[in-house]
Amino acid sequence: MDINLMGVSTALATFFGVWLGHVSVRKIERETVNLRIPTLAALALGIGFETASFLTSNLILSAMCGILGVTLLWDSFEFHRQQKRIKRGHAPANLNNPRHAKILAEYPVATTFDWLNRSPRGSAYSSDELVSMKDGKK
Amino acid sequence: MNSFGFWIGIATLFIIGLGFIWVIRGERYFGYLWWPYVIGAGILSILGSMFVSNHWASGLLGALGASLIWGSTELKEQAVRGEIGWYPFRGKKILPLFSDVIRKWKAPSL
Repeated sequence: MDINLMGVSTALATFFGVWLGHVSVRKIERETVNLRIPTLAALALGIGFETASFLTSNLILSAMCGILGVTLLWDSFEFHRQQKRIKRGHAPANLNNPRHAKILAEYPVATTFDWLNRSPRGSAYSSDELVSMKDGKK
Repeated sequence: MNSFGFWIGIATLFIIGLGFIWVIRGERYFGYLWWPYVIGAGILSILGSMFVSNHWASGLLGALGASLIWGSTELKEQAVRGEIGWYPFRGKKILPLFSDVIRKWKAPSL
């Protein structure tokens, strides 16, 4: 029986694409002052990968480029969704980034505190616990 | 012009989108301790894709496998999101076999 490497290739492209959209978008959004630059870069790269997927006759390469292109196109929106998370306080703001400093000044719920940097404990937190957690008491 | 990659990219986007739904719902009802089983299912899906001759089926199985592996690394953070009130919290979970052992392992998070 012949081994088909199509699935392994799409798995690698999917995992790398999701990693780019998840980990690197968070890091780039945290450091970048002008969000238009990474947004346009992701858009251009996404269009580039999609074009390459149409132009190559190799099906495996076409699939990998297609997946990376689509995830990069999605990432161009994800920068702004990440900024919304900062405004809602669902992701920690970076005080050293002037754009984040402005958000911290304008949005009372925005915070530098990372709510997710903990292990699950198996029960819901009360409002008092959440307040003291944010104050750094827990 | 070869549109195979574009359409498999669109299909993968849906598979990734479904990942958000099953991670949220799955964690709520089953808890994050299922993560080793989810990783296992992802690996099996990718390995299985190697023995499927149809390119569409193999490609989608691979993307599904990667999405399952990724989702398993999200379960722990999702559990915390529920506990701090960002998502509905359900205290009674349907725990997996060997949950006491899995609890001692460090859950993956990227």
